[in-house]
Amino acid sequence: MEGVAALVSFTIWVATLATLLILPPGLAVAYALARWEGPGKGVVETVLTLPLVLPPTAVGLVLLELLGRNGPLGRVLDAWGMEVVFTPKAVVLASAVMAFPLLVRSARSGFEEVDPRLVAVARTLGDSRTRAFFRVTLPLAWRGVLVGALLAFSRALGEFGATVLVAGNIPGRTQTLSLAIFQRTQLGRDAEALRLAGVAALLAFVAVFATEAVTRRRGRRVRA
Amino acid sequence: MSLELDIRLPLARFTLEVGTRLDGASVAVMGRSGSGKTSLLEVLAGLRRGARGRVVLDGRVLLDSVARSDVPPEQRRMGYVPQDALLFPHLTAEQNVRYGARPGRASRVDEAVEILELAPLLRRYPATLSGGEKQRVALARALATDPALLLLDEPLAALDVALKERVLPYLLRVRDEARVPMLYVTHQLGEARVLAREALLLDQGQVRAAGPAAEVLGAAARGLLAGEGEGEENILEGVLERPDDGGLRLRMQGGLSLWVPDSPALAPGTRAAYAVPAADILLSIQLLAGVSARNVMTGTVVNVEPVATGEEAATVEVAGVRWVVWLTSTSVRELDVVPGARVSLAVKTSACRRLR
Repeated sequence: MEGVAALVSFTIWVATLATLLILPPGLAVAYALARWEGPGKGVVETVLTLPLVLPPTAVGLVLLELLGRNGPLGRVLDAWGMEVVFTPKAVVLASAVMAFPLLVRSARSGFEEVDPRLVAVARTLGDSRTRAFFRVTLPLAWRGVLVGALLAFSRALGEFGATVLVAGNIPGRTQTLSLAIFQRTQLGRDAEALRLAGVAALLAFVAVFATEAVTRRRGRRVRA
Repeated sequence: MSLELDIRLPLARFTLEVGTRLDGASVAVMGRSGSGKTSLLEVLAGLRRGARGRVVLDGRVLLDSVARSDVPPEQRRMGYVPQDALLFPHLTAEQNVRYGARPGRASRVDEAVEILELAPLLRRYPATLSGGEKQRVALARALATDPALLLLDEPLAALDVALKERVLPYLLRVRDEARVPMLYVTHQLGEARVLAREALLLDQGQVRAAGPAAEVLGAAARGLLAGEGEGEENILEGVLERPDDGGLRLRMQGGLSLWVPDSPALAPGTRAAYAVPAADILLSIQLLAGVSARNVMTGTVVNVEPVATGEEAATVEVAGVRWVVWLTSTSVRELDVVPGARVSLAVKTSACRRLR
């Protein structure tokens, strides 16, 4: 079962990295959406939600076109001597893109719950915009942010469609749990695939349980 | 304090236009609900975009739309206390008070905690505080920043707020002990009179009157506030004393004293403030004798002004203290209550309610 341990740790590593990667831009976008009222907001929101509803393979294909040797981003990266497609980096990137909308949605509703007048008071007490964000907005929205990060992490754990297109399914290099399950069934090793599915279920359970626990505590802590 | 205002701010129903100069250490801003009082405070605090004109506080330009200067709220040094306190819910009372304390001015925090009597509340979270307690914490939080001007939005609106929840006694201490200039939004004439040196009357965003409180807070203010459904009250400040023959008295500046309800908890020598509703005072054109009310005093009518249909407010000066007494128009006519007349006032001890 040594292979399984490596698979699990690689999968967790990918999901963690993907979540950390999208945290700064995700929070910035979520905050902007929560506070900004302007023309085109609906369009921006829709575009940001697309990865959630598009076939993951379509997202993967777009990433492949962008990042491939001849893609606009790929050429720049190539000039820097960086290769992404069919490497572990691509796995992280694909998971990050797919998880991004989940983080943004949850963090945004967290930010929306913070009364903007509290921020205004913080400003009169001497805080700059940035300082008020870290002293008032973020501490009051942390649950939404945490739930968003956990959801994003859970999503990244199981990512398949986008990953397989942009990173391939290379055992020991880009293969995550979900890719491994697919490969084993293709090879007719159903019992092994089923075992892996069990492991994946366990991982998902832990992640979702943590999310639920955070959500549940919301009601209790508000009165504290 | 000198505050120069010349501002225009379009609001939903009218444009707020205030052009005035205020020099008093304490200014009351009065007007009906929705007359632009809160918006005015927000413009001063720098929280309202879109205000045009000039705001100059003690020679510092805070806003000048022509010169395109608009000092951000964090650099204005305004101690803003909003209507609903808006304490930070994730912080304890103490953390709230210390939130904007300026390094090197720690004594301001201690002073604020002392004046507002917050020591027993410091470890509590806002959700467990009563309305009046929240207001006191919000006031301390603003004071602790060592502000150039306190902006107080009417702490709790109505007269029917429980006496112990009224913030007024603390505001009197802030005025006397912290000596921070304040701009105070209120509906209550009695509070405005005792607290403010100057007053500003707002109506539909326009200044109706501005100037010394004694002049502004008369008929014009009553007319403006009529229909807001709140009675008027006299607020009396002084020092408690306990004469040998029993009872408890409030001795006011000028020597006048008032019998107030006794309570063993009240120590002589402490400062206190009492409220006496203007409708609870009896007025007589003859020297009163043999009445059960313990407080009987003689004074001179300063003026008589209409309050609302059927009622008038007589201002009577007794030993330097001005009392407002509400009478029906019929009584005013029949008793011939006119300026200059000598009258007696009778106040039952039980009509004197201690604030806090």
